[in-house]
Amino acid sequence: MELFLQFCINGLMLGMMYALVAVGFTLFFGVLDVIVFSHGDTVMIGAFGGLSMYWWLGAVYPGLSLTWTVLWVFLAAALAVTVVGTLVARFLIMPLRKAPPLNTLLATMMLGTVLREAIRLFFPDGSNPKPFPHLLPEWSWQSGSLTLRFDNALLFLSGAVMIVLVHLLITRTRLGMAIRAVAQDEEAAQLMGVNFTMIVLATFALGSVVAAFAGVMNGLYYNEINFGMGLLLGAIGFSAAVIGGLGNIYGAILGGFIFAFLQTLGAVALPFASAYKDVFAFGSVIALMAVRPTGLIAEPSSQRV
Amino acid sequence: MFRPMQIEHLHVAYGNACVLNDVNMEIGPKRITCLLGANGAGKSTLIRALVGLTPPRRGSIFFDGEDITRLAPHRVVAKGISCIPEGRRIFSKMSVEENLLMGAYQEKSRGEIKARLDKVYDIFPRLAERRGQLAGTMSGGEQAMVSIGRGLMPAPRLMIIDEPSLGLSPALVKENFRIIRSICETGTAVFLVEQNVRQTLAIASYGYVLSQGRVIAQGTAEELKSDSQVQKAYFG
Repeated sequence: MELFLQFCINGLMLGMMYALVAVGFTLFFGVLDVIVFSHGDTVMIGAFGGLSMYWWLGAVYPGLSLTWTVLWVFLAAALAVTVVGTLVARFLIMPLRKAPPLNTLLATMMLGTVLREAIRLFFPDGSNPKPFPHLLPEWSWQSGSLTLRFDNALLFLSGAVMIVLVHLLITRTRLGMAIRAVAQDEEAAQLMGVNFTMIVLATFALGSVVAAFAGVMNGLYYNEINFGMGLLLGAIGFSAAVIGGLGNIYGAILGGFIFAFLQTLGAVALPFASAYKDVFAFGSVIALMAVRPTGLIAEPSSQRV
Repeated sequence: MFRPMQIEHLHVAYGNACVLNDVNMEIGPKRITCLLGANGAGKSTLIRALVGLTPPRRGSIFFDGEDITRLAPHRVVAKGISCIPEGRRIFSKMSVEENLLMGAYQEKSRGEIKARLDKVYDIFPRLAERRGQLAGTMSGGEQAMVSIGRGLMPAPRLMIIDEPSLGLSPALVKENFRIIRSICETGTAVFLVEQNVRQTLAIASYGYVLSQGRVIAQGTAEELKSDSQVQKAYFG
C-alpha cells in the first residue's frame, strides 16, 4: 500500500511536468493548426538556460540566497525559451503557414534536431549529462517507507499555480480572449481587429514560458539534465495533448496526468519489468487512440481552445 | 466631408483566376449603398479585398480620402470600418457577451465598451437575456443578432454587411433590414451586399450590380429597379 502511495506521489509529479509540456502542444495546435514537434526540445533549452544562469550566478554572486537563485534560474529559463519560441514562430512556423501541414511537421522535427545538436556541440561538454543543482530545501516527511519530499511538493504546487495562471489568462484577459478567437476563427478574429501575427507570437511566448517551467522542474526533480531529454518529453507531451483532444487545454492537462498514471501503472503492474513502463504507457495510448480517435474530451473537429 | 469609401480600378485574382476586373465604386456617407449580384459574381471577394483579407492585385481603396489598399485587416478595422461577414462567423464557443466584447477589441476604455454594450442590448433585448449563453448553442436568428451586435461594437464609421439575410426566415429578414436601416439613420455609412434584391433596393439609396467580376449597372435604387439588366437578371 505504501509502495502504491509512493508511486502515486511520483506519478503526480511526472503528470504535472507532462501536463505543462502538453499545454504548449495544444495551444499551438489551437491557434495555428500545427504540431510543433520541437516543443520538447524547447523544454530542454529551458533546463539548460536555467543551468547557465545558475553557473553565472555562482561565479558572479557567490553568496546569493537560495530563493533568489531559484527565481533567477526560472526567469532565465523562461527568457531563453521565450526568445527561441517566438523566433521559431516568426521565422519558421509563420512563413510555412500556407505550406502543407506535413511540411511544417517535418520542419519542426528537423528544428528539434538542430536544437539538440546545438546544445550537444556548443554547450560546454554538452554531450554528457549535466548535474542540475539542488536548489530547494531538502526537508522530507517520512511515514514508514513512504517519503513525501518538501521540494517535490513545492514543485507540484508551483506547477499547479502555473496551470491556474494559464487558465486565468486564457479565460479572463483580453489577450486570452483574442487567443481563443483566433483558435476558433482566424479570419473572423482579424475582422474584429485582432493583430494575427501578434497573437500567434504571444501564444508561442505563453507556451514557451510554461515549457521553460517544465524544463527547470524536470532538472530540479531528477537533478540531472541532458541534451536529449526533450525527445522523450516531447513525445509524451504530444501524446498527452492527443489523449486529451488536441486543441483543448484542459484535455492536455488531463492527458498529462493520464500518461503519468499509465507509466506508474506499468511500473506497479510489471514489477519484474518496470523498465518497460514507457512501452506500456505508449502502447496504452495507441490502444486508446484506436478507441477514441479524437481524444478523451471529444469535440467537433472545428472547435478548439 | 466624410467620404466613406472609394474603390478605383480594383483587380483581384486568386492565382491565375481573375475574380474582379476594374471595379470602381463609391460608398457615400449617411446612406445605404448596396451591391447586388448572383452567386459567384465576386461580391465576397470584393469584401475580402476591402477589409484586407485578400490583397488586390491592382487598384486602390480609399477610406475618407486615405489609401488603405494593402493594410492588414486589424489596421483597416482601426480606421473605423467594421464588417459583418457572410455566414455570420460568430465565435461559437464564446458567450454572447464575449462575442460582443470581441467586436470592441480595439477599444481600450472600459466605460466606452460598457456604454456600447448597453446600446447593443438596447437594440437586441434578447441578447441581454442570453448574455452568458454559448453563442454556438443559439438559433440562427439569434446568431444573426450576435453578429450584427458584434459589428456595432466598434462604433464603426462604415459598416460592411455581407448577406445578412442568408438562411433566415422572411420575418427575421424583415427585422434585420429594419435594424440595418436604423443603423444607417444613426449616421453610419452602410455597404450592404445582398442577393435579396427587392428588400435591399427598398432600403438602399444607391446600388451597384456585379456580374462576373465587373460592375454591369449602377444607379439610385429607383433607377436600378427599372434597369433592364437588373430586371432581366432578377425580376424575370
